[in-house]
Amino acid sequence: MSKIVSLTKAAALVRDGDRIAIGGNTLHRAPCALLHELVRQGRRNLTLVKTAGSYDLDLLCATGSARAVEAGYVGYENVLGLARGYRRSVESGQVEAHEHSCYTVIAALRAAAQGVPFMPIASLEGSDLIAARGFQRIANPYGEGVVVTIPALSPDVALIHVHEADTEGDGAIFGARFEDALMASAARKVILTCERIVDEQLLAERPDRATIPRFEVDAVVELPHGAWPLACPGEYSYDLDFLTAFAAIASDADAVAGFLAERLRW
Amino acid sequence: MVKAADLMAIVMARLLRDGETVFHGVASPLPMVAILLARRLHAPHLTYLNITGAVGARPTHLPRSTVDAALARGAPAQVTLTDLFDLAARGRLDTVFLSGVQIDRAGRINLSMVPGVRLPGGAGSAALMPTARRTILWRTRHDRRTFVDALPFVTAAGHVDRVVTPLCVFRRISEQLAVESLHSGVTPANLSAATGFSIAVDDSTPRTPAPTGAELATLAQIDPDRIRDTEF
Repeated sequence: MSKIVSLTKAAALVRDGDRIAIGGNTLHRAPCALLHELVRQGRRNLTLVKTAGSYDLDLLCATGSARAVEAGYVGYENVLGLARGYRRSVESGQVEAHEHSCYTVIAALRAAAQGVPFMPIASLEGSDLIAARGFQRIANPYGEGVVVTIPALSPDVALIHVHEADTEGDGAIFGARFEDALMASAARKVILTCERIVDEQLLAERPDRATIPRFEVDAVVELPHGAWPLACPGEYSYDLDFLTAFAAIASDADAVAGFLAERLRW
Repeated sequence: MVKAADLMAIVMARLLRDGETVFHGVASPLPMVAILLARRLHAPHLTYLNITGAVGARPTHLPRSTVDAALARGAPAQVTLTDLFDLAARGRLDTVFLSGVQIDRAGRINLSMVPGVRLPGGAGSAALMPTARRTILWRTRHDRRTFVDALPFVTAAGHVDRVVTPLCVFRRISEQLAVESLHSGVTPANLSAATGFSIAVDDSTPRTPAPTGAELATLAQIDPDRIRDTEF
């Protein structure tokens, strides 16, 4: 059964107040076209889950779409520096920053993916994040020692941009995989946006692919350039002009609304 | 006069050993350059790891984002970021490069917040610093707001070996940062004035060996576009 839907319908799978996991890493392969559609539809009170984000998280904070961010890093690396929309919205109290280490996001997603309530990890000792996040230590029930545990984190929806997908919902990523397959396993619903819809036979013959399997996927949207203004490895780089202009005004909600309306032709 | 970016990249490269596994994360141009420089100079069997999950990549050009697909090019193996964190968690990652907005006298770092100001966050540091065998910290700013006596928030703490700055190299001994060498042109008084905790430094403190012609020439080949300058 075909899972291909319109962008409008895919975005409607995300509800106000949902916790969403966003694929990609920093400036690379986030599902930005889908995020733009969430903003256009006026989605509110989202909790954002990611190991390391940039424009994706900054956008949803700057537009008042987000209530909380659970991430290890939010910024534009040395390309553009600080994420001012994120920063302003946290400092004003509009958004709660639930800082994680990237590995604790991974551990939380792993717990959800494996159907267990928490995941022990090797160490986080010495970090104030243990107390800040309320991570609990437990005694090893089989022997010596104590481990830090990370509670499971089940996103309501995972939003992932892939290179290719078939109509049944199998997605293929080329190059860096980041945590996308894990996000898909951990989430209750999965939306794939893709550069191209391809025949499943073609997907089967592709070497070097990482896949997100059809049984995890609820909807597929064909969106060439769907990671823009971020990069899609092997397809296009990030749009430095757009990001520079956005990052400069990201702390001003009115300026952001005007900028998006103009640049995205809303 | 050698530029600070060049000196820091060379000093960081010298700290790497042949045969070890070395990882850098997001926003890490100097470690990226240092790793590739070390592999060309004295550590041909170093295994280069980064966020893309590429193992042993041989990039043909250097990007400004250190998560870029350019840093996966030529890699004979590809894993996920999760696999690399797991490598550290089981004690098998040799060296990680990390930085901090603030660094304290024990080599702990803050990337999370200072009162009233939200910082970008520590990325992988809180999990990597206690588990990787060795952390090398680098910071392109050396002043009293950066090197502080006490942190308002400890994002990560752990196995710090060295801290490389534009002024000096610290070595962590008995859980305290001690000055190992002063860079050319830096006086003991300059260094004490720029550091927010007490340090032992005087005219007998060793000088950081000057970059050699071979080091500078190889650096220029590896990073002809001077991506390393984007950190300054």
